[in-house]
Amino acid sequence: MDFDDTPEEADFRAGVRKTLEEHAGELLHAGAGEDVVDARTHEAEMRRTQRVLHEAGLIGITWPREYGGQGGTLVQQAIVQQELARAGVPPLVNHIGLGMCGPTVIAHGSDEQRSRYLPRLLRADDVWCQLFSEPASGSDLAALRTTAVRDGDDWVVNGQKVWTTLAHVADFGILLTRTDPEKPKHAGLTMFVVDVHAPGVTVRPLRQMVGSAGFNEVFFDDVRIPDAERLGEPGEGWRVALTTLMNERVAIGGAGSDLGLPVETLAAHARERLPRLDPERQVLARQAVGRAVVAALATRYTGYRRFTVLSQGGLPGPEASAGKLAGTAAAKLVADAGVRLLGDDAVYAATADGDDTWQRTQGYVPGLAIAGGTDQVLRNILGERVLGLPPEPRLDKDPGGRR
Amino acid sequence: MNFDLGPDQRDAAGGARDFYRGSASPAAARAALEGGPVEPGHEALAGIGYLGITVPESAGGAGGSLLDLAVVAEQGGAVLAGPSLVTAARAAVLLAEHPDLAAQLADGSAAFAVLDGPVTGSAPSIDAAGATLFLGLDDGALVVGEGEATPGRPLDATRGLAGVRLTSRRVLAEDAGALWARARQVAAVVLAAEDLGAADAAVQLAVDYAKEREAFGRRIGSYQAVKHMLVDAWVGVDQLRSLVWWAAWAADAAPDELPLAASAAKAHAAEVLERAAETCVQVHGGIGYTWEHDAHLYWRRAKVDRLLLGDAAEHLDAVARLAVAGALG
Repeated sequence: MDFDDTPEEADFRAGVRKTLEEHAGELLHAGAGEDVVDARTHEAEMRRTQRVLHEAGLIGITWPREYGGQGGTLVQQAIVQQELARAGVPPLVNHIGLGMCGPTVIAHGSDEQRSRYLPRLLRADDVWCQLFSEPASGSDLAALRTTAVRDGDDWVVNGQKVWTTLAHVADFGILLTRTDPEKPKHAGLTMFVVDVHAPGVTVRPLRQMVGSAGFNEVFFDDVRIPDAERLGEPGEGWRVALTTLMNERVAIGGAGSDLGLPVETLAAHARERLPRLDPERQVLARQAVGRAVVAALATRYTGYRRFTVLSQGGLPGPEASAGKLAGTAAAKLVADAGVRLLGDDAVYAATADGDDTWQRTQGYVPGLAIAGGTDQVLRNILGERVLGLPPEPRLDKDPGGRR
Repeated sequence: MNFDLGPDQRDAAGGARDFYRGSASPAAARAALEGGPVEPGHEALAGIGYLGITVPESAGGAGGSLLDLAVVAEQGGAVLAGPSLVTAARAAVLLAEHPDLAAQLADGSAAFAVLDGPVTGSAPSIDAAGATLFLGLDDGALVVGEGEATPGRPLDATRGLAGVRLTSRRVLAEDAGALWARARQVAAVVLAAEDLGAADAAVQLAVDYAKEREAFGRRIGSYQAVKHMLVDAWVGVDQLRSLVWWAAWAADAAPDELPLAASAAKAHAAEVLERAAETCVQVHGGIGYTWEHDAHLYWRRAKVDRLLLGDAAEHLDAVARLAVAGALG
């Protein structure tokens, strides 16, 4: 047992670190906890940052070389992620495209689609989004109602998607539609690549509960998509979507990084703020800080165990869902302890000198518990696929997902 | 990074599982509440060499690491075995400079207990009820001696708890405060390892039942209210394993990290085992509340262990102080 890189991993990490140092002046850097979803203001700089990283060989680590990737391993990908975080580079503008859309195109797209889309995605010439959730189908994704109807060489799409991260800056998306309403719900779906700038596509930013607009609702009114933009066969959309969702789990279930603010940030905050509290309050605040630190460390070290599996050539299994579930709980404890340490300022949206680091991370937590699998859906996955508990009886096997 | 057990540790864990399953059980823990012996007992543990895992080979031990001992302790915890390997690990640290006594620890010719609190009247201390030699901290000095043990009415008879008044004492080392603190951290790690085994077993017992038991025409594990309880208990166990391995590894490989890791593991263990045991009783319903069922034996272990060697509040406070002082790096 050790927490060190293998010699090969250490060489790779040193190379990544050197590359990032060489290009530091060309990269966007974020302060800890900066709102990562608000891409609009930084869009051009974020696209440039990804392009610089791509030219330096740090983007698409696990992707095939023929499409501009590096042909590397999941461990190398994780090391790049860790080094980007260490260097203070914010999440990449195309994180949805790199984590989910691209792998789906690689697995199910035609050669023509791969050549056309993947190199531009890697360079952030095109930003991608994932058009899955709808107003009436979030956790129950396969109940979606957006339709695609065949018309000559095209499909005509009508419907609405929602909670679409990055749609307001995106150029393309992968779009899950219902193409056969007479089939049982999972069997009537088909996946497409859609041009977000095409006629009939309307993107409206949605203001989130914290006030900023990081995601969107997207309307489709008679949008024409050529049949050549289909991903997989008609009716195979669910299988294609599972590829996307599995990659999402790899992307989120990561190797021991904190989901909210790093716990080291809480420790530094406590060092400064604890002495300012009443002595009796200090006792209680230390309990809250201690609880948050334990939860964060337990999640982090469990992530190291998953990372070890990757390092030995394994694939992430359903237990990766536990990382997101526990990471969300830890993020809530860290955020709560951080806010409480603010004393009287804790009831405001920012401190008297305008710092809203802790209030912002507090507002981020409810979204964490929903996005990429709600806490409840993750518990179902863990209960059924890890513990082997029986599933609930289902009432939704009728055509088109209707009851 | 290789945060996993090695092949030798996996083999040792497998061997320990077989040994403990063959020599201890929740049924024995139940019988101990009614006056029966604690199983497998001091002699059997000495015989298989578990009391000397971390004692140097030169003193008749196996010269192993704390991680080697922790993976064995986990298996003992799973079947509520006694005496605890907490004492073996803690005494091995305290006796590092006293090979003659360490040899008696390893071969079982003396049954040690380590006293918490004043040696003139200690706090309830693990395995003190059956001990023949006691180690204590007296005015900053490490002492060994004989004593008079006064057990209370046991909540969990496998822990052998008793308060002790030393009747003789010999100083082994002056200014032993730092050594004593490190031994107590090592003890906390081993207690967390035994709690890991107990919590894992309690969750498995409940999961197995939820797959079989039917109510309202369905197996109860299909209900989300039951499923989610079990998942939360399991996630706690999975995370506790990470903290126990880290803390046990740190004891030998990164001693600077031990205080933080040991307190994190002990605080988490207290809450994880309590939740696992309470979930186990609740998922079983009425049968889980009976004397004949094993659930209450895990519950008893949880209610006792959470308070031994410092409760969660003490260890959370320690974690916070260490983190604020820069222990996270």
